[in-house]
Amino acid sequence: MTRSGLRLGSIACSLALAAAFAAAPAAAQKQGGSLTIGLELDIPGFDPLKVGVYDTAANIAASLILETLVSLDDNGKPKPRLALSWSSSEDFKTWTFKLRPDVKFHDGTPFNAQAVKWNIDRQKDPKNNCRCAFYIANIVSVEAKDDLTVVYTLKDPVVNLPALLTRPDQNQTVHSPTAMQAKGDDYNRNPVGTGPFVLKSWTAGDRLVVERNPNYWDKGRPYLDRVVLRPLPDAQSRFASLKSGETDLVWADESEADNIMRARNDKTLQVLTYAGSGAAVNAINTKVPPLDDVRVRRALVMALDRKKMSQALTNGLARPATNPYGDGSWVKCKDDGALPEDPKKAAALIKEYGKPVAFKMLFTATPRGRAAAQVYQQLWKQVGAEMEIEMVDQATFPPRAFQRKFDVIGWRIVDFPDPDVQMFANFHTGSPVALANYSNPELDKLLQHARVTPDEAKRTEDYCAISRIINQEAIWFWTFQNTYYAMAKTKVKGIPKLYGGVIDASAAWLE
Amino acid sequence: MARFFGRRLLYLLPVLLAVSLLTFLIASLLPGDLAYAILGDQATPEKLAALRAKMGLDLPIWQRYLHWLWGVLQGDLGRSFRTGELVLNAVLDRLPVSIELMIMAEVMGLMIGIPLAILCAVKSGSAIDRFFTGFAFANLSLPSYMVAILLIFLFAVQFNWLPATGWVPFSEDPVGNLRSFVLPALTLAFAEWPALMRVLRSDMIATLQEDYIAMAKAKGLRPARILLVHALKPSSLTLVTITGINIGRLIGGALIVETIFALPGIGRLLVGAIYARDFIILQGVVLFVAAGFVIVNFIVDMLYGVLDPRIRHGRA
Repeated sequence: MTRSGLRLGSIACSLALAAAFAAAPAAAQKQGGSLTIGLELDIPGFDPLKVGVYDTAANIAASLILETLVSLDDNGKPKPRLALSWSSSEDFKTWTFKLRPDVKFHDGTPFNAQAVKWNIDRQKDPKNNCRCAFYIANIVSVEAKDDLTVVYTLKDPVVNLPALLTRPDQNQTVHSPTAMQAKGDDYNRNPVGTGPFVLKSWTAGDRLVVERNPNYWDKGRPYLDRVVLRPLPDAQSRFASLKSGETDLVWADESEADNIMRARNDKTLQVLTYAGSGAAVNAINTKVPPLDDVRVRRALVMALDRKKMSQALTNGLARPATNPYGDGSWVKCKDDGALPEDPKKAAALIKEYGKPVAFKMLFTATPRGRAAAQVYQQLWKQVGAEMEIEMVDQATFPPRAFQRKFDVIGWRIVDFPDPDVQMFANFHTGSPVALANYSNPELDKLLQHARVTPDEAKRTEDYCAISRIINQEAIWFWTFQNTYYAMAKTKVKGIPKLYGGVIDASAAWLE
Repeated sequence: MARFFGRRLLYLLPVLLAVSLLTFLIASLLPGDLAYAILGDQATPEKLAALRAKMGLDLPIWQRYLHWLWGVLQGDLGRSFRTGELVLNAVLDRLPVSIELMIMAEVMGLMIGIPLAILCAVKSGSAIDRFFTGFAFANLSLPSYMVAILLIFLFAVQFNWLPATGWVPFSEDPVGNLRSFVLPALTLAFAEWPALMRVLRSDMIATLQEDYIAMAKAKGLRPARILLVHALKPSSLTLVTITGINIGRLIGGALIVETIFALPGIGRLLVGAIYARDFIILQGVVLFVAAGFVIVNFIVDMLYGVLDPRIRHGRA
């Protein structure tokens, strides 16, 4: 939508404009300036074949340089980005997207349906062995019907596909095919997209600098001239850099609760908080004794005091979870089947089981992992269960999960616009990440039904029934809901909700 | 002199070979599998086998080592498995940061350590001596991550004199570059100077007992000249050794400080490579650090010769 549209005076245009402005914050956006963002991690790169899966740092950088077909609005509903409109077949297995015309990649290559197809084909190509292919396994093919029409054909129906194409991740960001082919191994550090910012320079481990794309399709945007991303791995010095003005905005999480509290009481700072869907979760391997007995599993869940855990680990910031969806999800359950927190009953169940309860739990060898491990150990000891802590480093953690070499393991259901993808993967019989080794035809049926039902109310019923089964069978348990944080100077404006923990500064401005 | 030089140089090769072989072995003993890390949740036994074969991970370890060594001899350290970056570029990009940090830390350490050592040696046994040796001990007991946070709090947040994190290339902004190194170098220097000061102090006390010092005093030379010219040089052999070892340690040992101050040095590269099981980067970094260590110690050996002619002539 352009400003010249207003001068045309057509009613339709004015109405559309009014709607656009109503959605935007009341303050007028200011042009110019530079924004420095402090991240936790080094950015590994942008080529899906190289990095496999984008981490949050890569997501944040990608949201500036690269774009997705669809974005999420403030209510978590899909809105146009590189795609203007979409429609689906009746069985939700074929989705057609109309693309935005006259968009060019930073290297001048035209953005079109062939480019979208090329990106997905490259990720799915079995020769490329891309870890990223797992996340789009449901896509059978992407075809370019004409220059600006692209058709996704799916294996299993997805009622909410546009919302799933919104994250700036390894699968959904569209890269310039010409640049990828020309640069080969070097593309990973030289991404070329259609986004509002162009990569200017990147010193590994120090800073990635992007500058305003003068040819951006959304005229008048972006507002900033330059954004600098800096990996600052230490939480204390990251916060110090915000206080001292070296950064304007920093990524944060609950393990630095003290800093978040301090920022809330500081007049020069603001804390951006997003209560997302999903939760920090744990899977119990139901094939190994004593965890094959449902009484033991229930006892372990009932022994937890989440409020106390939150107090001990995050100064009370973390919000207890009783289901895998969380307050940020559109799935709201009257009855999610959560077991009561009742150590006495838990101890009684362990006694009833009769044999000694001893098992191992897998944690990452990080300060966060160590702290959590000790809390669990204490809580379970009080009800008569012996948990042995096993710490492994981050590279070993996922293989142990996929090979089912654990008794109990920590996992996460990340904030996502639709529960289907993760719920199906985590709980349907035979899925590679159905970590509990648990199979239940009733659960499978509900998961199947929920993914082909377009009506939200009916899907909610399904998902609540699913939650009741999981909670009662105690195959997985949830500890805290996902809350995502960023801390910023008060002058930083225009950062949308932190969907999936991604700080999207593509439309930010400085007051 | 040339023979001494040549003999020392010959030591370099076996040391580098041994170090690289050891890292190769240790890295292969680490739990976790690169093929798994790359394939992740879609790892099937067939895919794993195919990828291992493609990357040469299925070969016996000695073959992989020889293959890597052959590449290194031709100047090819390989490419990062994960990011596609050339190992040589990755290391060379970051090496100047670590070297500058190391030099500044060492200079600061010496600037604090030497004057205090001389002062304490002259006033040995006095209240001043006891205070500073005690202070050095207390200083040595402070872990560097704590010193770093205290310095940041004081100089970056409270007074806002120096940046808390980050780094600017020297070519872009020399003053900014030096400013960004002050706090991290000071943090390292805090751990360096106590050791330097203590060895120099005790060596100097011993030297000051020597007859030729009494002779110099008797001849009426100025105390400053006696201390700085006649006593300091013969007392500094241990100091030079320790400085050399410290420098070698600092090349790759500034992991914590580089992390806290977000300096893009070689230490951060190493930590990242270990977490990501990026063995080829790990190998490259270790090779450079080992070479640096050996070269610095080689220079130290040379300095011995300068400081003490008896070593130069092989009579010590």
